[in-house]
Amino acid sequence: MTPRLKGWTLLLILVALHIPVLFAGFFAPYSFSQQNRDWSFAPPSRMHFFDSYGVFHLRPFVYAIEPDVNDPSGYMADLHQIEPIRFFVHGSPYNLLGFLPGNLHLFGIHGSDRVFLMGADAYGRDQFSRFLYGGQISLAAGIVAAALSLLIGTLTGAFAGLYGGWIDDAIMRGGEIFLALPWLYLLFAVRAALPLHITQWQVFFLLAAVIGLIGWARPARLIRGVVLSAKERSFVSAARAFGGSDFYLLRRHILPQTYGVLLTQMTLLIPQYILAEVTLTFLGLGVGEPMPSWGSLLSSLQQYYVLTSYWWMFLPALLLIPVFLAYFWAADALQEHLKSVPL
Amino acid sequence: MRFIARRVVHSILILIAVSFLSFTLLQWAPGDYFDGLRMNPRISPETVNGLREKFGLDQPFLVRYERWMRSVAAGEMGFSFAYDSPVGPLLWARAGNTFLLGGCSTLLAWFLALPLGIWMAVRKGRWHDRLFSVVMSTLLAIPDLLLFLLLLLLALRTGWFPAGGMTSSGFDELNLWGKVLDLVRHLALPSLGLAAVAMPILVRHIRAAMVQALESPFLLAARGHGIPHQRLLWRYALPAASNPLISLFGLSIAGMLSASAIVEVVLSWPGLGPLMVQSVLARDVYVVLALILLSSIFLVSGNLLADLLLYASDPRIRVEQ
Amino acid sequence: MNSPEMDFLLSVRGLTKQYAQKRLISGAHFTVEALRGVNLNVPRGAAMALVGESGAGKSTLVRCLALLEKPTHGEIDFEGHDLLTLSSKKLFRARREIQLVFQDPTSSLNPRMTALEIVAEPLEVQREGTKDTRRRSAIELLDQVGLPTSSGQKLPFEFSGGQRQRIAIARALALRPKLLILDEAFSNLDLATRDSLLQLLFELQARHSLTYIHVSHDLRLVTDVASEVAVMYEGRIVEHAPTAELFTRAKSEYTRLLLEAMEIDSAVIDDHTVEVMR
Repeated sequence: MTPRLKGWTLLLILVALHIPVLFAGFFAPYSFSQQNRDWSFAPPSRMHFFDSYGVFHLRPFVYAIEPDVNDPSGYMADLHQIEPIRFFVHGSPYNLLGFLPGNLHLFGIHGSDRVFLMGADAYGRDQFSRFLYGGQISLAAGIVAAALSLLIGTLTGAFAGLYGGWIDDAIMRGGEIFLALPWLYLLFAVRAALPLHITQWQVFFLLAAVIGLIGWARPARLIRGVVLSAKERSFVSAARAFGGSDFYLLRRHILPQTYGVLLTQMTLLIPQYILAEVTLTFLGLGVGEPMPSWGSLLSSLQQYYVLTSYWWMFLPALLLIPVFLAYFWAADALQEHLKSVPL
Repeated sequence: MRFIARRVVHSILILIAVSFLSFTLLQWAPGDYFDGLRMNPRISPETVNGLREKFGLDQPFLVRYERWMRSVAAGEMGFSFAYDSPVGPLLWARAGNTFLLGGCSTLLAWFLALPLGIWMAVRKGRWHDRLFSVVMSTLLAIPDLLLFLLLLLLALRTGWFPAGGMTSSGFDELNLWGKVLDLVRHLALPSLGLAAVAMPILVRHIRAAMVQALESPFLLAARGHGIPHQRLLWRYALPAASNPLISLFGLSIAGMLSASAIVEVVLSWPGLGPLMVQSVLARDVYVVLALILLSSIFLVSGNLLADLLLYASDPRIRVEQ
Repeated sequence: MNSPEMDFLLSVRGLTKQYAQKRLISGAHFTVEALRGVNLNVPRGAAMALVGESGAGKSTLVRCLALLEKPTHGEIDFEGHDLLTLSSKKLFRARREIQLVFQDPTSSLNPRMTALEIVAEPLEVQREGTKDTRRRSAIELLDQVGLPTSSGQKLPFEFSGGQRQRIAIARALALRPKLLILDEAFSNLDLATRDSLLQLLFELQARHSLTYIHVSHDLRLVTDVASEVAVMYEGRIVEHAPTAELFTRAKSEYTRLLLEAMEIDSAVIDDHTVEVMR
């Protein structure tokens, strides 16, 4: 597979991973806040095709669960109550993308029982649904923050590289100050500076903005390097010789050289920033209830008894691994693609 | 000498800028520590205002900045409302713990990453290199948080390691050897976690630096002269690669603080991390400020150290003087 | 070389260029004088060679002429107007008259633009004509430099070094300049390519009434091409004479050193240069 094809394939896979998150309302069987104390810490539902009588069912099913008589915190299956999994069911209403109302879900079961693909938390909330909805927050935070970092980094780096002199010095010194702070501490500090009582949406945007604002220095340095070397290329001098203005040179000749770097930086920064948001929320400094974020899904693991008894609460963290891997591979493929384009 | 002096001055200027900026940032924050008190119906507003006056929170900006800087210079670094004591003493013990953890994990990480990176560079392109590249990439994709939580789980389930803290109860009664052993047992998991987090990037950079040295023309020429492989590696390639590696060492010390904060919280290591989280939640402003300042001192020193090591080891820089 | 009857296209007087530089580690400032009072007259229709060793200031001079850099002092008279005192609007127009062909054919073409786009770009920047007319002019120019129309859609990496220089030349001609400066344009090419390009330039000169300045550190190129030679050394023009005269009756000590280094036999030169001179 050529580097080019590989790059596009990986980008496609990456986009495909984001679709269930984007359309969480449809893919998730339940809403993220639906509680039921009867199913506190229910384990992930087991799928069966053969029932206890040995009969094969075409449609996979789960057993209804009830509290285990022997183990007060566990559950056992009621073999008499078979709940088949249905597809395209009508369930709790949602707003797709925030404004398209609907109530069709990809799968679910009829009746009052639940199918927990990833188990349930202390309040009996479906972790799978919360994972999808939580992804909206965490992924969006990562992407928005990365876009912000790159925007600021490109503007400052381009100015520094193009004009040189004291502008360059000032910007690079400024960048050094940002790089002189451990990012997590700075994040904490800025989070501390935010008012405690603001709406969740404001918290989200401020959080993404802060994460993004802190990270502009490294991309700026890279962009500055690209601009510096592009500036010296003769085709830029040639364009200046027939009358191109600084702005024209930047737009037509210099900035296009940065696209490759920008794209690669994007794929590298997004996982970092997602992790930053997850960590902050885990520590209680991020987006709060009721909005789920991958970090809040993990925060219950701070309690020892959850950590040791309910293994499915780890699943959101484990699922981060393929997401990050997808981003890393896309970044690698992009870098290869860049190297393969002859200059 | 002039080089060193310039770098030191440069670092100090950065620290001053950092202190000013963070102070400004935090003083802008609406609300403060005493807001929490105001919620409490049993405490009258007059008492709250009186407390704020006492701590000078109602003074104009520059006055507060100046007073804080003086306090920093005196070693007190402001006052913690939550602990009702100057910040300084709170920090030192914990800072020591963080440095201990950071130091051990950095050494451990380098101890593992350096041979691995060199080994991979020597076998570049072959299955050894590719296998470990995949392993390192996967390790990189594992979120730090997950790794630390898993280590905690390991401790709780198996009991081979303590589940947190720095010392066991009854520590003081142990003899010296017992104390050391106890400390090591407590250090094991957090150090391992931090090292595992740092390794993928370290290995990647070490490998890259070695590959560049191994593929450089002067090395090829040396090989052409028939110099044996082992000698080539240790006496030619490694010194050539030492330049970027020393810078990397400085940076890895510097970057250690961020990662250690999380592991300290998860594994209850009594370092600066948990203090930071607490203080942010409580809006104990001067503690937060002191921690920012301390951490940037640490980072800047790490970079300075890297520069100085470079100066000492690379004759080219000395000649340019 | 100053005969009053001659029509000078370009007249440079007292051109000086100083750079401020910082020492790498210590940070101390010192000045570099790249040009120290250059005086040069370029007659209309000439093929002038500008020679000198590396660091003599040839590239700096040429960049000042192409208005890519501003000299510290001096005048550049083009057809009677001092280019350095023009308003920015007039300067924009004046840029059309003097164009540059650079040394490295790879670096002088934007790797993301097709040959047609590259050649048409000057017209676009100077806002001449419509997209269609510009395209047609570009096709015409590529044809003039000997590149087939089919190559118009290709990217630079698909061409050889010599072909890329042809594209660069076509681009330089797009605005119908009067003066074409070639800054070491053939140093990176093999002899055969160089010869065919020189032949092309020769034809183009007659066709478009061009004046050339060839910058080179290679005196041998000069013998193939130039009608007159200006020798630069340490930021000054130390000699300026018709080619034959230079090789046989060099006035400056430096020129003689250069010639010796090149091992030029003056007897051979006489015959050869007679042919070049028209």
